[in-house]
Amino acid sequence: MKPFLNLPSSWSFLIIFMPLFGSIIWALFGKSLMKLGGDRDGKRVVAWGATGLVLAGFVVALDFALQLNVMRQAKESFDPITIFQWISLQSVNIPFELRLDSLSLTMTLVVTGIGGMIHWYAAGYMWEEREYARFFTYLNLFIAFMLLLVLGNNLAMLFIGWEGVGVCSYLLIGFWYKDHANAKAANKAFIANRVGDFGLTLGLFYLVYLIGGQAASLGIESTRWLSYDVIFQANVLEALSHFPKEIMIVSLLLFVGAMGKSAQFPLYVWLPDAMAGPTPVSALIHAATMVTSGVVLLNRMAPIFLMSPVTMSVVAGVGAITALLGALIAFGQTDIKKVLAYSTVSQLGYMFIACGVGVFSAGIFHVVTHAFFKALLFLTAGSVIYAMAHNQDMRNYGGLFKKIPITAILMTIGFLALIGTPFAFAGFWSKEAILGPAVNDVSYTLLLTNIGDYKLTVGALAGWIGFLAAFCTAFYMTRQMFLTFMGKPRWTSIEPAHHAHHHAAEALPVPAHDEHAFFMSDAEVEAFTVPEPEHHDLDSTHEPKEVPASMWLPLSILALFSTGPIWMVAYNSHFVDKWLTGSYEEHHGAIGHNALITISFLVFGGGLLAGYLVYKKGLPEKEGWDLSKWNPVRRSAMNQFSIDAVATDGTSTLGNHLGKVLAWIDVNIVDGLVNLVGVIAKAIGSLLKMPQNKGMVRHYAILMHLGAAAMIVLAAWKLGVFN
Amino acid sequence: MEQWTMPSIDWTTLMPTIIVILTGCAALIVEMLRPKQNNNLIVGVSLVGLGGAAYCLLSHLGLPEISTLNGLVERDRLGSIIQLVLVGVTALTILFSEPYLRNKRIAFGEFYPLALWSAAGGMVMASSENLLMIFIGLELLSIGLYCMAGLSREETKSEESALKYFLLGAFASAFLLYGIAMFFGATGSISLSAAAGAPEGAQGLLTLSSMMLIVGLGFKLALVPFHQWTPDVYQGAPTNVTAFMAAASKAAAAAAAIRIFSAFVPVQDFWMPILYWMAILSMAVGSFSALVQKDVKRVLGYSSIANAGYILVAILGAIKSGDGNFAAAIYYLVVYSAATVGAFAVISVTAKAGTEGTRFEDLHGMWKKAPLAAGTLVFFMASMIGIPPLAGFFGKLLIFQTAVNGGYVDLAIVLAATSVASAFYYLRIMHAAFAADETAIPTQAAPVRGGLKASLIICAASTLILAFGANKIITAIEGEPEPAVTVALTGE
Repeated sequence: MKPFLNLPSSWSFLIIFMPLFGSIIWALFGKSLMKLGGDRDGKRVVAWGATGLVLAGFVVALDFALQLNVMRQAKESFDPITIFQWISLQSVNIPFELRLDSLSLTMTLVVTGIGGMIHWYAAGYMWEEREYARFFTYLNLFIAFMLLLVLGNNLAMLFIGWEGVGVCSYLLIGFWYKDHANAKAANKAFIANRVGDFGLTLGLFYLVYLIGGQAASLGIESTRWLSYDVIFQANVLEALSHFPKEIMIVSLLLFVGAMGKSAQFPLYVWLPDAMAGPTPVSALIHAATMVTSGVVLLNRMAPIFLMSPVTMSVVAGVGAITALLGALIAFGQTDIKKVLAYSTVSQLGYMFIACGVGVFSAGIFHVVTHAFFKALLFLTAGSVIYAMAHNQDMRNYGGLFKKIPITAILMTIGFLALIGTPFAFAGFWSKEAILGPAVNDVSYTLLLTNIGDYKLTVGALAGWIGFLAAFCTAFYMTRQMFLTFMGKPRWTSIEPAHHAHHHAAEALPVPAHDEHAFFMSDAEVEAFTVPEPEHHDLDSTHEPKEVPASMWLPLSILALFSTGPIWMVAYNSHFVDKWLTGSYEEHHGAIGHNALITISFLVFGGGLLAGYLVYKKGLPEKEGWDLSKWNPVRRSAMNQFSIDAVATDGTSTLGNHLGKVLAWIDVNIVDGLVNLVGVIAKAIGSLLKMPQNKGMVRHYAILMHLGAAAMIVLAAWKLGVFN
Repeated sequence: MEQWTMPSIDWTTLMPTIIVILTGCAALIVEMLRPKQNNNLIVGVSLVGLGGAAYCLLSHLGLPEISTLNGLVERDRLGSIIQLVLVGVTALTILFSEPYLRNKRIAFGEFYPLALWSAAGGMVMASSENLLMIFIGLELLSIGLYCMAGLSREETKSEESALKYFLLGAFASAFLLYGIAMFFGATGSISLSAAAGAPEGAQGLLTLSSMMLIVGLGFKLALVPFHQWTPDVYQGAPTNVTAFMAAASKAAAAAAAIRIFSAFVPVQDFWMPILYWMAILSMAVGSFSALVQKDVKRVLGYSSIANAGYILVAILGAIKSGDGNFAAAIYYLVVYSAATVGAFAVISVTAKAGTEGTRFEDLHGMWKKAPLAAGTLVFFMASMIGIPPLAGFFGKLLIFQTAVNGGYVDLAIVLAATSVASAFYYLRIMHAAFAADETAIPTQAAPVRGGLKASLIICAASTLILAFGANKIITAIEGEPEPAVTVALTGE
């Protein structure tokens, strides 16, 4: 394809500006629009405006990508585009500048393209919502910040975007904030991300300290030494490589940041709870875009990471642990969105395995394919939930294939893509691109042991764990599909009941152990859980309905891109490597291509078969409502093997104790000192007030004269009269 | 005997003062002819006159500095800007006086001509290097204030404050006159410029003269130990008069102090230590005594003492560093005037049906009954405390820098410490206005409208405008394209 608009690069600010503009408009005038044009038309304007602005950004970004493709052939690239001067000091200059390169444009296309589809879907999904404009305000604002994160050309802008998407994520998880469980989930996400952001901040500071302090010796002349094009010059990187210890610390700290945002073990605990937000949000932010920003950060900082084998090993190791752990926990989940949430955690692990073994571009490859099929899965799950009166428990589902066929087919495509169906679907190719280099890794991570001729490095081990996790993925996803669509309908056995329906049913139940961890008492929790009488419950009288076209149409576009052909071409022509890194090297390892494909086949087929055998008859007895009949391992998986409990309780207990100590110091020592100052000040005040008490003019006059006399005496003394 | 020749007179220099005096006369005439129970015409006339004076003064700012009327009147940046402050303060006070006086049942239109003439006195005082002119200006300023302080004739408090102010003011004037006489004795002239050429043997007399002048000016500025009248008079006088007194009197006296202290540099070794201690005492006494007050007007009286201390620090720092750049003092005066007039305007809201509640608890619930007044009060108090981005912060910052430049690090520290202490009572005033519990005496909030509204909004806006235009204003004060102290707000 040829560039069709040929926009000058200075127009690239439009990509960010358009959703930002939309966000401001919906925030300021959203409600008036609803009033002015009536509820229906007002909502239409907001929905189409918000979607259109994002998709327009896609068109502009596509044009730039095509332009870049043409320029690449002439060995050219875009110069950084300075929007305005932001911080300008003598020794450092941080302009507000954008970078149009293959990484940023790829991510921009994903964010705006998939984001646009999700906006479109959300227009229908959120239709009944009273605060429609607020939802799209946040959604557009999120897109703007995400684009700032990927398009910015310096660390400061990355940081703004990073924090901005964090805020939007918080706002959107807590969109139904009147429900206390949602507010808590939002808090949890925010606090867990704080931990990561702390690492990121420290890493950035250390990097700034390192580069800023050594600017002269590193050969940096520009004062824009926070900008990527300055830091990543060959001579600067060469000079930086003389600081291996510092680089290791910096990269590890940056990885902590990535762990928080990208939900890696052990900081993943917030992501499952984040599913409390509206489903389009889960798809957009907590599956397709924001959670991949850790991968973007690692790609951006790849030259730094590549300098430290220790960090690379940590990245690959954490990625592998996360991939396997997420997959195992997913077996214990009965909530359809939670299964997908843990599957996201697991898939994010793959992306980090890729980064850890040095194939950063494969990480982005998986980000892209995953964005399509996971968004698809979440949104179809949303459609299922929509059809099932907002009940999310798969134990109530069953036999839905006949009731909602379009959703079922679309979800099946997403399912086949996720479990890595060989050749025909997207997930296979990107997983292949990760695990192939991983099991053959010899150069990027630390060597563990030699097994014959085969060198087992941390990265290689991570790759094998990745295959194991892929087996689990095929298994638990088959479980989900069978429980949802196959077998007999199970909701028909629910007695119509008149128990008070809480909106909380739509949100995920907050695990009992963190009830006390956040800020309110039980009484307040009760007060904050608002009953929603107009909802009707899922019971035997319920008849599932297919979603409207406005909801399945965007899904079919996502489904198209979840299938294999495009990605097969991309994989076989090494397009991803060439596009992202500008070069391609053939990998030759101990495990050959054919062996890899065979393993993939076995893993995929084995998982699928196992799932089929266990769940072909519907919900097994030992996975039903009676938890005591569950296999103890599965029960433990349901509780995330107590990781969340330990992490949340541990930190909150620690925090409580630390807080108590600090409170004691504050109350008894700091306050004491402050109060003492106050007491002294008041005492002085009272003392000074004494001569004023009677208010006699003669006293005032005497003081005046005494003052004057004292001055004269002093002057006389100084003049030497008394000598 | 020398032939006396008619001095050349530059009328444009004198015009603002003349306009204000004539406006006062016009206001008096209108007062006599006015339809009863309506002072709006007087207010209108006064504002028009002040507007004209302000216009003249603004046009002066770009003109070269000259001395006219045989050296009796100066046209320089210091004078013009202080005159502008006086005109502005008078206008803002007059704006909110009408609703206040009516609510307080002080049915005297005399306030307006008195305020105008008083302001004219301040203007004379601010724009002369001649000690006699300064004295005349001071008297003109003071006599008007004595009368205005006792304007609420039904109230003993008001009468008491007028008498106290008058008696102590008379003492202060006597000291000032003594000082002038000694100055004449030392130099043979009453022009401040003669101080530099005083003969060697006259040093003693000159020193004594400086002491006497310090007493006189210290009284007007409300510096410790000549401060005791301040809380009593501030509390007793009608609130609009207090506003005028606090801002105008201080501005004029500060201008005179800048001129006089600059002239006395040859004997600075003698009086600088005295002023140094007066500054410390003023800041400390003002800040700490205010902590234990129960009346908001008294608190502001003590705050005025502390602020006089801050201004003195700025003056001392500028003199000590030798560059004669009084930008910090002048800028702070402007900022202080806006915030203080605004604060008193807020308090004037409590006047109703002839009574007025000025204790802390009288302000309770103000944010419900007079939200605009309570809202603007936040600006005034925050500016007084020195919270960025309000002008008070930059004012204090400038003074701090000036003090450090002049080598008065200790004064700068005292300034910072007392500022922190003062935050307590400023916040207490805010707290009172926003406290929801209405005690035995509910707030008597007069409706905020018309002139009062305008006055509040202008004062609140100027706490912001002065901050964001700080560079511009300092340039206007210094008269140089490149300000010595830059306040980076916009971050180019």
